[in-house]
Amino acid sequence: MNRRLVRILYAGVASVLMLMPVSCYRGGSLSDNEYANTPQGNFMALWTIMDEHYCFFDLKKEALGVDWNEVKHRYGQSVTSDMSDRSLFELMCNMIGELRDGHVNLSSPYDMGRNWSWKTDYARNFSKDIQDEYLGKDYIMSTSGMKYRILEDNIGYLVVESFERQSSSTRMNVMFNDMALCNGLIIDIRDNGGGLVSASEFLASHFTEKKVTVSYSCYKTGPGHNDFSKLYGNYISPASSDLRWNKPVVVLVNRGCYSSANEFAVMMKAMEKVTLMGDTTGGGGGAPMSSELPNGWLVRFSSAPSYDSDMNHIEMGVAPDIRIDMKDEDILAGKDTYVEAARKYINDQLVNP
Amino acid sequence: MKNRRTDSSRCSDVLSRVLLAVLLALIPLQVPARQSIGGLPSPGEHVSQGSLTLGLGYARDTYLSSVRYNGTAYGIEFDKWRGRKEESFFRYSRLHCNLLGSPMHNRLGGGSTIDANFSVDWALLAPVIENDKDDLLLGPAFLTDMTMLWNRQNGNNPANAQGHVSLGVCLDNTFRFSLPSFPMALQATLFMPLAGIAPAPDYDEPYWYVYRYGDYMKVLHFASLLNTFAVTQQISLVMPVGRNSLKIGYTFDYSRDRLGGHSRYAAYNMFSVGYVMRTVKIRNR
Repeated sequence: MNRRLVRILYAGVASVLMLMPVSCYRGGSLSDNEYANTPQGNFMALWTIMDEHYCFFDLKKEALGVDWNEVKHRYGQSVTSDMSDRSLFELMCNMIGELRDGHVNLSSPYDMGRNWSWKTDYARNFSKDIQDEYLGKDYIMSTSGMKYRILEDNIGYLVVESFERQSSSTRMNVMFNDMALCNGLIIDIRDNGGGLVSASEFLASHFTEKKVTVSYSCYKTGPGHNDFSKLYGNYISPASSDLRWNKPVVVLVNRGCYSSANEFAVMMKAMEKVTLMGDTTGGGGGAPMSSELPNGWLVRFSSAPSYDSDMNHIEMGVAPDIRIDMKDEDILAGKDTYVEAARKYINDQLVNP
Repeated sequence: MKNRRTDSSRCSDVLSRVLLAVLLALIPLQVPARQSIGGLPSPGEHVSQGSLTLGLGYARDTYLSSVRYNGTAYGIEFDKWRGRKEESFFRYSRLHCNLLGSPMHNRLGGGSTIDANFSVDWALLAPVIENDKDDLLLGPAFLTDMTMLWNRQNGNNPANAQGHVSLGVCLDNTFRFSLPSFPMALQATLFMPLAGIAPAPDYDEPYWYVYRYGDYMKVLHFASLLNTFAVTQQISLVMPVGRNSLKIGYTFDYSRDRLGGHSRYAAYNMFSVGYVMRTVKIRNR
């Protein structure tokens, strides 16, 4: 009897061992937080991803009057089962466009959905042709995205078009050696759309002699609109092994400065001997992350907000120390109002330090 | 001259003996033992099993994407059984290693993820039932499993690690039977972690924040059956081929967790073909 019981027990255990894979694998059905690949499913997936992960709802409600639940109701009414993919894409792009955030995009085979009104709704304050005139033909190309030359009044002019690539100590030393006798430096980051935060930090580290608290960051810790981590301080320490710049610096900014360029403006604003000149930057103060919809479209959203050293949001841009607008007559005369104002400012500093 | 030659040959003779002794001391010498299909190793015996595996992998990680990915998976699997001392309670030990890789796509063929999984499990096993035809072994196990997912579309959240380092159980079951004069064995094994440590980012914290702010401890979570379920299931048929044994098997590897506010799983259905080799140590070091 006992032996029979043991055999039955044994057969039972063996059966469990054999059948377990079939019973526990659920990969074939939709699991939690997964939506069906239908217009309604994709719409809800997009709305929910944004609702649970986007980090600026309170700010956008205050600044732009965006109520995310109302947005769902308004756009959701137009979603039908038989709508085309292209129509759905357009509708969803319009929905996320309400946030006016350059880090919020929807990518599909049709297009990359975006709302760049933070840049396009404002004066550009920049002319590439005029900038090229100032750089001349014999400018020096440092790291990709960085060009410089010395202007006639012995002021260095550094154009940083992008932070996609980080410069090196060697290149920085060569550049500062070339401009060692200059009276000041103009760093032109207009229309710089960003790139690596580490690249902007590296450049900024050459303009301070002490460790400076430049900004604060946190990140989403849960699906609630106010679920955020503690704030982490961001510091810039002097570039230890490189030459550092100790003379006056003017950073030229416009609405086209976004993301890492926006961060660079924040960093430089916290430095001594640095003046921000131009228009408010475009913003982009949230580190972006990505996810996907059931139909494979890629959605990008801001999830980790940053603040300046006074704890102000930088998502809506960084205000300059000195506000300037490009003058039409200057543009017609081939003059860059920004560069001319920066040259005058540095030369005035030499006379009246 | 003659004496010198004698000294030289004596010297080389002594040197070669010393070298041989060192080699014997360093190398645990093993020779093939009598092959027994599906039999457990006696003290000092080793049973090694190596397989090439091919199958399907499935993964979903809401840190990277809200949709699931799947693709063909390739891998190698290795098992080593050892017979411990006769008087030991845990008479057997077992080492199980598994390496898998899979290029994955989402359901619509878009998106692209590369998945790599590595697991090492070590168990001490005590016989619950042990007779000529059946063995049922049970014992504690130290389990490690790590799956790296790399989503090539993502910018600031391109990769994530799923896995655990845990204590758990191992259950092993062998039926020995024979088709007319053709001995075979059906083996089934289950590894299941019960409690340990598992990595997961804190909801939307980018990994570069973890590095930048030194937030390493936040990535580690206590894992138990409440938040992490994992199982490695093997079923294999061992049969004689000439003087050796062939193993044809199926492995199901599954892990699912809810850590850091994310829902994640990785599953593999793998079919394997490999060898089984029984060896005995000459020197029991």
